[in-house]
Amino acid sequence: MPDPVIASVGASPLGRTDLPGRDLFSVALAEAFDDLPDPADIVEAVYVGNQSETYEHQIMQGTLLAEWAGLRHVPAERVEGCAAAGALALRHAVKDVRNGEHEAVLACGVEKMTAGGTSGATDALSAAFDRAIEQRSGVTAPSQYALLGQRYLHETDATERDLAEIAVKNHANAARNPRAQFPKEIDVATVLESDPVAPPLKLYDCAPVGDGAAAVLVTTAELAADLNRPQVRVAGSGASANNIAVAERDMTDIAGARVAAETAYEEAGIDATAVDIAEVHDAFTVCEALLAEAAGFAPAGSGYQSYLPPAERADGWTDVQLSPSGGLKARGHPIGATGLLQALEAYEQLTGAAGDRAVEGAETALLLNEGGVGDAVTVSHVLTTAEAP
Amino acid sequence: MSDDALDATNPRTLPGFFDALADGELLGGVCTDCGQVLLPPRPACYACGSRGVDVEPQFPEGEVFSYTAVHTPPPAFAADAPYTVAVVELTDGGRLLGRVAADYDDVAIGDPVELTVREPTATEREVALDYETDWPVHVFELR
Repeated sequence: MPDPVIASVGASPLGRTDLPGRDLFSVALAEAFDDLPDPADIVEAVYVGNQSETYEHQIMQGTLLAEWAGLRHVPAERVEGCAAAGALALRHAVKDVRNGEHEAVLACGVEKMTAGGTSGATDALSAAFDRAIEQRSGVTAPSQYALLGQRYLHETDATERDLAEIAVKNHANAARNPRAQFPKEIDVATVLESDPVAPPLKLYDCAPVGDGAAAVLVTTAELAADLNRPQVRVAGSGASANNIAVAERDMTDIAGARVAAETAYEEAGIDATAVDIAEVHDAFTVCEALLAEAAGFAPAGSGYQSYLPPAERADGWTDVQLSPSGGLKARGHPIGATGLLQALEAYEQLTGAAGDRAVEGAETALLLNEGGVGDAVTVSHVLTTAEAP
Repeated sequence: MSDDALDATNPRTLPGFFDALADGELLGGVCTDCGQVLLPPRPACYACGSRGVDVEPQFPEGEVFSYTAVHTPPPAFAADAPYTVAVVELTDGGRLLGRVAADYDDVAIGDPVELTVREPTATEREVALDYETDWPVHVFELR
């Protein structure tokens, strides 16, 4: 089977922008193809991660973005899985290359979240929850995750201050990331004193609403070499769907993320201890704690220590560094693009292009991208340097 | 698996479930193989995959499993905010999310609650899909 690799990445500015979604995509694509032939010369298929047509009243994103890339008569489609749409697009591209169907596939993601204001984004995101019971009860994305957070604080030694420290750590990482929506440090008091959104979660526990697009080119290793591109191997890929209703799941053992990560580890022939860096779905601070446990980095009940240096964490923790990009929290979370922004960060870290935020010696990365609340759907990838065993 | 047709009177469908709820009866699916309670009832058990699902009335009391308050509501519920939402573990083992008719500060994990049912408000009817218009709304009250 061909060995799929990431051969190039690009992203638009993140946050409140004056560009519509298709133009954000064009910016991301231009960066990804800066040192490459035109997309029409190499790209054989397109997958677009996109959460909702309500922002721009536009479906047919596969057709639209393929056209804007100068591609005609290639298979192109939108992939939907709320905030996991980006990683689902990546996974489809990886599978197409791995099974020999295509040599080069474009996985991209776009979301124009600011088009309908905060209430528009709140409404669009609430569509990810079960309509019959959850939506009709008035839940929102923050309140759904707050239900997980409340339970996590009840069952573990973690405090609201620990969750705040995760936000502080991710902002500090983002301060060294020129792509970040919020490239600035904050302190614990700022988090703890910020407005309640859904207790125990406060404003600074929450990833921001923002626009953005990302493009990731997946190719065979041979084509990446022919194109003279730095390459990162996609060594493993896993995905898992769990119940749509949060009430019917284990709310502190994020089983779907565990399954997705373990599938990716198994394909890569590694375990969690081999992972140097992880971009996990910290849409809310408590997610980083929960996902650190689900990914096998931390013993149950101690994932909240992700903000501590490895030597200061509980026994059983690995040395992994979480969310070096600043995470969804501070790098930004333009829903359909997020899974691809995670891949972009890993690509830059593993090819020596991460600048001031480079994690020294990083050879193996885990990506965990969630959609819905918690593990309603989770997609995981293991990326490694070309030299990694 | 039941031979009953999956029409809108069958409580394995949402119209059938909400019809019973409007009459004050909370129906759950109960897996004939592993005993998992499914709220609302559905044709298959998520825990074991069985399609053997009985429909049984669920005792309308339970305890708060987790809770929060919505301070940034969807537009349709803006006038209600902040409002309290909880996941409740029912006495018969199922778990159900719903509003709680109490202030956030007056709720704690483990609090006993009772499920009540009311007709949708005019505002709720306005934002309902056509087929949801008459569906009742359940609310938990502290006991």
